[in-house]
Formats: sequence, structure tokens, C-alpha cells
Amino acid sequence: MLLEIKGLTKHFGGLAAVSQFDMYVNQGEIVGLIGPNGAGKTTVFNLITGVYSPTGGQVIYDGEEITGMKPHKVAELGIGRTFQLNPLFGEFTVLQNVSASFHLHPRSSLLDIYFNTATYRRNEVYISEQSLEILRLVGLEHLKDELARNLPHGYQKMLGVARALATRPKLLLLDEPLAGMNPSEINFTLMNIRKTRQQGVTVLIVEHNMQILELCDRVVVINFGQKICEGLPGEVRENQDVITAYFGGGHVA
Amino acid sequence: MNSVAMSQPMSAGVRSDRKRRAKLSATVGFIVALCLLPVFTSSTYTLHIFILTFIYIVTTVSLRTITTSGQFPLAHGAFMGVGAYAAGMASRWLGWSCWITIPSGALLTAALGILIGYPFSRLRTLYYAMGSLFFGLGVIQVVYALGDWTGGYSGFTGVRPMFTGSKVSYYYFSLGLAVACSVALYRFEFSRIGTNLKAIHQSHEVASSVGINEAWYRVMVVAVGCFFAGLSGAVYAHYNLVISAASFNLGTTLGLFMGVLVGGIGSFAGPIVGTFILTLFPEFFRDLRIYSPLVSAAILLIAVYIFPQGLVGIPQVVRAWYIRDRKGDQVAHAS
Repeated sequence: MLLEIKGLTKHFGGLAAVSQFDMYVNQGEIVGLIGPNGAGKTTVFNLITGVYSPTGGQVIYDGEEITGMKPHKVAELGIGRTFQLNPLFGEFTVLQNVSASFHLHPRSSLLDIYFNTATYRRNEVYISEQSLEILRLVGLEHLKDELARNLPHGYQKMLGVARALATRPKLLLLDEPLAGMNPSEINFTLMNIRKTRQQGVTVLIVEHNMQILELCDRVVVINFGQKICEGLPGEVRENQDVITAYFGGGHVA
Repeated sequence: MNSVAMSQPMSAGVRSDRKRRAKLSATVGFIVALCLLPVFTSSTYTLHIFILTFIYIVTTVSLRTITTSGQFPLAHGAFMGVGAYAAGMASRWLGWSCWITIPSGALLTAALGILIGYPFSRLRTLYYAMGSLFFGLGVIQVVYALGDWTGGYSGFTGVRPMFTGSKVSYYYFSLGLAVACSVALYRFEFSRIGTNLKAIHQSHEVASSVGINEAWYRVMVVAVGCFFAGLSGAVYAHYNLVISAASFNLGTTLGLFMGVLVGGIGSFAGPIVGTFILTLFPEFFRDLRIYSPLVSAAILLIAVYIFPQGLVGIPQVVRAWYIRDRKGDQVAHAS
């Protein structure tokens, strides 16, 4: 098991955003965490990556407990992520967004950086080659000199993925990668997520768009901060609780 | 087709290379001109104004360095005061040589910067500005409260001078200091360290998600900025020989900010240009001296209104006017 979550709970004041939530992700899987708006999906991500510290429960990654660890530490351990509202380094070019994200591997010491040593220069050459490689993978190479804030929405989302890949993650968390995309952008993104998995990256996706199901090996459904169902995409789609959560409890004519 | 695609980035590279060389030669020419200035003038007053300008350049450039991380420190003038009082007091009470008091004043200021920066690293943007504002006000009160050692309201005297005789030695020392500090901070900004700081400025959540330790970097840049503020303060103390807390109050900090904004906060040269303009300009209009804050404010408003990127953005604005005029001509000819 690459990631295991046990009894995860987060209260904001009196509101239980996530309560007693359990799930796991195996090495090499694509797992979907789906649920209606406000179900607590993003909160789970923020608890895994240390943006929030949980009220209770444990997050275990690669055999190590990472509950409440700082975000940059979590990134160091190999968990990369994107964001739902997809903030960018807007004043940087596309290429700079990716190369700036190569903070961890390779890492130059402050003295190497400041005194512009051979090690630092070698690292920077390697980083610019690798950044181009990642941009080629996600199909943004032709836009490398464009300012990130000028990109169309779908490309900005892909840039978010490219940036996360620059941290050389073992586990990639994607927060609503399909939100606000048109059908061709959706296909493009689904293709890229498949390519990412082929690179040996395990993927956990938060989505409320059911189209993500075609990509997932396994799906966990969450509503009101609690797991309501877990299984193969086909099973989940037929599950009565899931249908109720998405379409309401009344009888549909 | 392929060759066209290849040649475009090449020509852009050549252009930016030429631009860089033009900037470098302008900078070197400017420094050489400044080196020659004492040959052509023996007016101690002129030298005095330039010496102060050089000292304040160290302060404003380091202030801007902190702002690249998205922090707005309203205590930079106070930190300059910490360096000035530390060096001045060490010189008078401990009898240390200025070559020891100046670096130790700078290091002490950096240490205080870390001490203050650490709890403040949890505050962002406006809250950070407010927190540092209160710290700056506090420093002044401490100087007044410790009147027995600091001279309190009447100011601190008895700092031993660095150089005796004419101001020329001070002139070259402070010019050298301004150049050395600017080079040091330029290298800092245009390395991966500076990139990380700008990344934090643009999105701290993305920066942390790629492994950049936000709190550490923010405290580090405050420490570096405070080091240079303390350094400039210490040199100021050993030059002016008399210091008073009123020279390091909020007004001073705002004056430093004004220098950064007038020159252009987005450019490394901005605070250097701004400091020159704001210290030299009032000298041309000495009759208006009592209105000097008003003149400075007018310069700021004009600069920000006409040149949103600051005075360093003038060439760009002028080029834009020129291109627009030419286009206008073409349209006129065509019709």
C-alpha cells in the first residue's frame, strides 16, 4: 500500500468536513475520490498534503506516518499535487513554471546557487532539459515561452500537472483536473493522466465529473465527509447510495 | 518552415544579449562617472549629498529584495536604526574600531530580523506589513526608554569617524559599498534563490507543494534584507557621527518605499534610480526645501501615474508612444 488513511477526521468549528474516513491507494493504481460538491474531497487532499492538520486519524505514506507534516515536507517525500482553483506562477513563463518547480531533484545547496558553482550550473542545465521533456509529455512544449497567465484554462490545468511532475512524485494528487474543461480538453487531459501512470506514477484523483470513472481502477465515493461506497467504477455507477447522493433521494420519473 | 521556427528564438536571444550588454555598459559608464565626480567638484556639500545617496541605495535595494518575496516590511528604517545604534554604541562605549562595529552592527540587525521574522513569517501581505510596522514603532520607543545608553531624545553622539580629513574617502567608501551590495543582492535575486522567493510571492500554496519551504525562505530573505539595512545604518552612524531615533522612524521607512516605487519596484535598478532622483531632485530646488515632502509626493504621483513601472520604465513608455505615433502616421497616409 502506497497510501493509507485511517479514521481521518477534520472539524472546522462545529462542522465535520471529514469524519472517520478510511481509504488506501496501491502502488501503480489510478484511484478516483468522487462525490458531490462540498462532500469533503478537497479537504481530504489538504489533510494528506499538510495544508490542514487533521482533528483525528492517521495518514500513512510508504510505511511512514505523515499526519500533520508541513506541505513542503510532504512534497519532499514524493507526493505531488495540483489545485482545484489552479493557482500558477502567473508572471513566469510556462517553462519557468516547470523549472522553478524542480526544487527537490536535483537540489543545489544555497552556497552552490549563490556562487554559481559548476554543480549548480550542471543542475540547471539538467533541469531545463527535464522541464522541456515534461512539457513535451503533456503537450505544452510549443507554448514554453508564453506567460502562464495568458494560457487558456485547459492548458493552465495541464501546466499544473507538469509542475507537479517536476517534483518527481511517486504519488500524484489531482484536484478536479476536469473542472471547467470543454470535451476536447477533457480527452486531452484523460490521455495525459494515462501517460503519467505509464511513467510509473500512482494517481489519486478528486472529481465530481463522472467521466473520470473510465480512467479509474478503483473508486471511493464520499459525501458529507463520510465514505458511502467503494469499488470498481462499474459497481459504483450502479450503487443506489451514489445515485441518491448525486441526484437526490426522490423518485425520478 | 523548420528553419524559421528555429531562427525566431535565436534572434530573440541575440536581442536580449544585446540589451544586456547595453545595460551593462550603461551601468559601468555611470559608475565610472561617479568615480570621477570628486575630481571635478570640491564642494563638500555635493559630496555629502552623494554619500548619503550611496548609503541609502544599500537600504532601498535591500528593501526591494524583501518585497520580491511578497512581504512589505514597514520596519526597514527601524532596522537601519538598529544597525546605526548598535555600531554607534559599540564605537563609543566599547571603543571598537569601525571595521568591527560595522559588520557586527549588520550581523546583529540580521539576527534581530530572524528573531522578528520567524513569528511574522506566519503573517502574509497586509498583516505582515502591520506586524512590522508595530515593531518599527517599538524600536524607537526602546531607544527613548534606554536614554542613559542611547542618548534618548537628544540623540546619540560620540561615534568615532571612519576617516579623518576630507569627505573624499567617505565618498569612495560609500560608492564602493553601494556597488558591492548591489552586485551581491543582484546575484541573490537572479539565482534560483530569487526564483524561489518570486514563486512564493506568486503562489505560496504552489510553492510549498513543489517542496519550497515557505517559512524558511521568508525568514531568510528578511535576514538578508536586515543585514544590508543594518550595514547601511552602521555606515551612516560612522559618517554622520550623530544619530537620532527620529531618523529611523516610520517616515524614513515610507521615504525608502517611495524611492523604490518612484524608480520601479519591478526592476532591480528601480530603487537605485529612485533614490538618486529623490535625494538629488530636491537639491535643484533648494528654495522649495520646506515643501520637500510635497515635492517628493508629487514626484511619486507623477511617476506612478505616467510610468506605472516606475522611472526605469520610461524607455518602454516612450517607445510605446513612438510606435503609436508612427502607426497613426501610417493610418493617415493610407487614407
